[in-house]
Amino acid sequence: MKRFLGAAFALLFAPCAALAHHSAVRFDLTIRDNMVSGVVKEFVPANPHTKIVLEITDEKGTRDVEFEGHSRNNYYRAGWRDGMVKVGDKITLIAAPTRDGSDGGYALGVIAADGTRF
Amino acid sequence: MSDVSPTLRVGASLLGLVIAGAAFGAEHPDFTGVWGNYRAPGAAAPQRGAPQAPLPLRPEAKAKVDAYHALVDPLGDTPGGHCLGTGMPGSMLGSGGYPMEIVQHDNIILVVFEAHAEIRRIYLGEPAKAEDLFPDRNGYSFGRWDGDKLIVETAHLKEAVDQGRYPHSENAKIVEEYSLAVNDDGAKVLTSKMTMTDPDFYTQTITAEKKWQFQPGVRLLPYECNEPAWEEHLERLRQGQGNTG
Repeated sequence: MKRFLGAAFALLFAPCAALAHHSAVRFDLTIRDNMVSGVVKEFVPANPHTKIVLEITDEKGTRDVEFEGHSRNNYYRAGWRDGMVKVGDKITLIAAPTRDGSDGGYALGVIAADGTRF
Repeated sequence: MSDVSPTLRVGASLLGLVIAGAAFGAEHPDFTGVWGNYRAPGAAAPQRGAPQAPLPLRPEAKAKVDAYHALVDPLGDTPGGHCLGTGMPGSMLGSGGYPMEIVQHDNIILVVFEAHAEIRRIYLGEPAKAEDLFPDRNGYSFGRWDGDKLIVETAHLKEAVDQGRYPHSENAKIVEEYSLAVNDDGAKVLTSKMTMTDPDFYTQTITAEKKWQFQPGVRLLPYECNEPAWEEHLERLRQGQGNTG
């Protein structure tokens, strides 16, 4: 667990490795503690970036919101394993928000339904 | 010798082969293994977007590079974001922070970058004839040993204004000098000193240094990048939307 947390921490604070393929121009990566929770509609671990769609309910109502995330390989090295995030799970993203305030963000980290962080 | 049993003779022969093999293998440093970015103990993580020294680009080259950035930067587009490998010299100088694996043979060294499963081949035998080569993002690399150092010369590159740090023309020539060392902290470190000569693009020679750290027990992961696009394409076909590719 200690090793896992270390890896997750490294991923969160290693923007060069994590953002290897993205200029992140859409996202405000200076904000690194923004938490967004929702129900997983889609979780596609992929390279160069993972696609995550959550059903989110907040003051704006209930809607599906798409997030971009680290590459599958970077999530793997931070502790993600196949099947860890499933459709219907309630998860939390540590997500850098969009610069224009629109829905979405860049998932710097994930807290899975069982509390596992990667 | 006639008193020696056949079993012992075979054993002695095998031992001789092993010793000869070991001696042959020890002729040059062995770079085989998985390597990740080296960071000195206590050093802070490099920050993306940190200011970089301006490059000594010729005005025509700078105009090309600026035009490229004016095109892609507002959208955040990069070659890697579109599943295109980095190419030289970026592949060797970083490869997106992902590890690389070196497989060393006598006549060729394969450098497999996890990102995009990009591969560099460094030939050590007979160089290919120039007329048999064509430009490529990683060019054609030919190496030779100079004592404990591996010297690699790369040419036949494509013009690449999309290189993250060192854009270059098709006439760029890159020389790398690789050496292996063990740091005081015990880390096995591979150092590459790069010199790029490109009079078409630069007013002076470009130099850079990159250090990699040996990562025992780490395996390279598969890096399929086009799969989601392929799946989406198939889905469109299934829905009768025709060939959109």
